Amino acid sequence: MIIGTGTLLRIVRTWLYTNLNAQIRKALSGEPAFSYKHSEFLGSPFKPLHILSKPTPPPQNMATAVKKLLHPHRSRDEEKSGHDNQSSGHDRQDSASERAREEEKQNLLQWEEQKQPLEPGQIDDANHKTIGQSSNVLRQQDFELIKTLGTGTFARVWLVRLKDTNNGNENTVFALKILRKTDVIRLKQVEHVRNERNVLAGVAGHPFITTLVASFQDRDSLYMLLDYCPGGEVFSYLRRARRFNEATSQFYAAEIVLILEFLHEREGVAYRDLKPENILIDAEGHLKLVDFGFAKKVENRETYTLCGTPEYLAPEVIRNTGHGTAVDWWAFGILVYEFLVGQPPFWDQNPMKIYEQIVEGRVRFPSAMSSNARDLISGLCTVDTSKRLGNISGGAGAVKAHPWFQDIDWDSLYYRKVNGPIVPHLRGPADTRNFDEYEPESAEREPYTQDMSNKWDEYFKDF
Amino acid sequence: MSLPPDYSNEISALDREILKSQPHDVLQFCANFFLRRLESQRAEFLLAPQHSSPKGRGMAQSTFPGNNPFGKSNTSAFESIEEDDENDVVASPTASSFAPAVMDKAHPQPIAEEDTFGNFGNFAGFSGSAGAVKPPQSQPPSANPHEPQSFPNNYNLNRRTSVSAESLNPASSANDNWVPPFHPKTDEQQARLRSAVAGNFLFSHLDDEQSAQVLGALQEKPIPTKGIKVILQGDVGDYFYVVEKGLFDIYVNPSGKLENGPDGLGTKVSSVGQGGSFGELALMYNAPRAATVVTAEQSTLWALDRVTFRRILMDSAFQRRRMYEGFLEEVPLLSSLTPYERSKIADALETKKFPPGTTIIQEGDVGESFYILESGEADVYKRGNSKSLKRYQKGDYFGELALLNDAPRAASVISTSEVKLATLGKNGFQRLLGPVEGIMRRNDPSKAQHSDTVDPLSK
Ligand SMILES: Nc1ncnc2c1ncn2[C@@H]1O[C@H](COP(=O)(O)OP(=O)(O)OP(=O)(O)O)[C@@H](O)[C@H]1O
Ligand SMILES: [Mg+2]
Repeated sequence: MIIGTGTLLRIVRTWLYTNLNAQIRKALSGEPAFSYKHSEFLGSPFKPLHILSKPTPPPQNMATAVKKLLHPHRSRDEEKSGHDNQSSGHDRQDSASERAREEEKQNLLQWEEQKQPLEPGQIDDANHKTIGQSSNVLRQQDFELIKTLGTGTFARVWLVRLKDTNNGNENTVFALKILRKTDVIRLKQVEHVRNERNVLAGVAGHPFITTLVASFQDRDSLYMLLDYCPGGEVFSYLRRARRFNEATSQFYAAEIVLILEFLHEREGVAYRDLKPENILIDAEGHLKLVDFGFAKKVENRETYTLCGTPEYLAPEVIRNTGHGTAVDWWAFGILVYEFLVGQPPFWDQNPMKIYEQIVEGRVRFPSAMSSNARDLISGLCTVDTSKRLGNISGGAGAVKAHPWFQDIDWDSLYYRKVNGPIVPHLRGPADTRNFDEYEPESAEREPYTQDMSNKWDEYFKDF
Repeated sequence: MSLPPDYSNEISALDREILKSQPHDVLQFCANFFLRRLESQRAEFLLAPQHSSPKGRGMAQSTFPGNNPFGKSNTSAFESIEEDDENDVVASPTASSFAPAVMDKAHPQPIAEEDTFGNFGNFAGFSGSAGAVKPPQSQPPSANPHEPQSFPNNYNLNRRTSVSAESLNPASSANDNWVPPFHPKTDEQQARLRSAVAGNFLFSHLDDEQSAQVLGALQEKPIPTKGIKVILQGDVGDYFYVVEKGLFDIYVNPSGKLENGPDGLGTKVSSVGQGGSFGELALMYNAPRAATVVTAEQSTLWALDRVTFRRILMDSAFQRRRMYEGFLEEVPLLSSLTPYERSKIADALETKKFPPGTTIIQEGDVGESFYILESGEADVYKRGNSKSLKRYQKGDYFGELALLNDAPRAASVISTSEVKLATLGKNGFQRLLGPVEGIMRRNDPSKAQHSDTVDPLSK
């Protein structure tokens, strides 16, 4: 049997990685502040994932391989600039890049087959993580667009399958989010789209966040290749059920708490668009948060750009007094309310009247709602951020300790040992029965002109 | 012959579960697994779109947030409610809400429908009607008399789209010394404007300085004749308008946007005269205009654009926060705070204003709050001594020991001019950061001792 250089390199890397990993762990004997135990669920011993090994010309020696391993970004950039120069002549069918592309596709397939969540320590480890990177060989033509899964204000998300791979499997599918550069520019979302890619890349591997497998671009579009989540939106289940019972609401709410805890306290990221439409159900009935279009690394600085969804906007966003991660706790309160009641607490035909109710912040509860649920929602939907649950002392921990969550076993939840209340019944991994039908994309498209390209390409260069 | 894909899927799911759980009793485990699968498949089936809507799956709909404030009712929302009715017919009346009951494995207590409905009645009162114009009465035709009550606001059940405004970045504003545009106005005009926006919650939260800046930024826009369209339905909105004089007619086209032709305006729903205003949603983000506004006579408007408005708010909030953080850095007792904690405290500080001669702190009282002097001056007095011991100025702080203990105040502080203070109580501090003692302990103990002598108010 002949082993290709790519495979060989991968084996070397895998070995190195596993060993390095053990070394690093030994070195870091002190427990990190936010620690997770090794679990059988995550697979022990930890198996590293290697997707997107870069289009590598045969390594000259071991040192290069090691350097690449330790500095994937640097080597990627070096390659990228080289690649840009050479491919500016457009669609050059040069066989080296064809090989690289084929190899990358194989890696995508491989990842899809054995995907497993990373441990928090690995999610942060940008130097070693291979998911979520920008690829300079993938292109839209590598994917067969099967069906639209959803549309948003700026994007269309497709179910896709890898085309023409040697051992391509019918069932290996992904979700591909496509954004037109002209739309992004026209809707003034350039900054947001950059944040989206960077935050998603940073958090790829979390059990309840949709995984960014890779990103790439061509002349007029941006692409994010995501893990396909076949259960569809929590929104659809909620509208059909009208409201969730307490146990179901608690389960979903608890997984969201884990996501917010991770985003806020580990990543310093405010998500800013929590709502049932952005929460998907995966094949096992667990949640996956999608759409990081407004997510931003805020850390300890407040931010001012108004964004979100009207019914879920926090008062400080409306009043423009500066906001941070606390807005997610407000929205989380609205979400729990909507789970239990079937509609959010503040609503009017006229959006300005919604905002007026929000800044006033008086939540009315149906009498059927349990007192624990009321107490939780009141704590979260508190106008004064210095009194808002989740933002006050204890952070997410205070939310987890709330009596409404007393039946939740947080550890087994993170490791997905508990079954979700709704496990989608699927005919196979590419089943789209849980998604709605969407109008086909309109044919007319504003061109991405040379002028725009000159002005904006620089902003998209990391994609 | 190959096995059916459904079968292979189930078996591989079972394989995974077995590997994950390593059960002792394999047979029982498999039986449980398939029972669970059956249960969840049934739950899912009952929630499936094919099931709940005999019409089959319609196109997914998504509307721009909220409906038209000028009263256009959204028909698609009603379709959804009808669908819900049908769903209800399947599930009720005997089973109450069947789907949740199936899903409820842990605690089989379906929500009591009657009770919920009864109390949804309360909901009817709490949301105002749609602005100045009443929406046309068009309740959904419903088989179930309870339905309209359960969604009293005609809640829009469609997918909701996100909104966002242009990005505002305070970092750049600090450098480029942006000042809001200023258009002079007579006192009379100012007073009229003030009362025109008084009812608008976006303006009622402004402090004096912000309010002056916003009013100053309103720009006069004379509209020379009748028949001019000031805003077009469906266009993205950037400006908010106040009517200085004249009259404006408001038209809504049910299609959602202004069309060509004689009926393109749609129907007239209302008019706005002097002191009225329209287009305030444009101060939030660039949403499509909900109506077309046409002059009915020669008129004058005041116009304010979103970026100016939001930037005024942002700049003053930004400056205030940085000022507070700066002050807080100077307080030795709080020196161990991380920047993150400091910014939380800065966010929580409350502004208070007092006239000259106010006793802010009374000697002998039990201290609750600590104060930072933002503007103005205050004197420190001790009992039995009519002469002031010290004068506090901008940036000075006092009373911070109240955060640490319940000792009585060691002196009085009385304002000598009008003062603006930023203040936070012990409760607020602890709520945000936990017990103060814990934070103090981070300091080296000798330092903590030392801090006692820093405050002239300490005993
Ligand atoms: N990984 C995924 N798997 C399956 N479906 C997905 C996935 N990602 C997105 N979708 C579907 O596509 C829809 C739109 O995606 P997304 O919210 O990311 O787009 P957007 O344009 O940013 O939307 P918005 O208007 O909410 O900002 C989602 O609501 C979901 O239904
Ligand atoms: Mg979305």
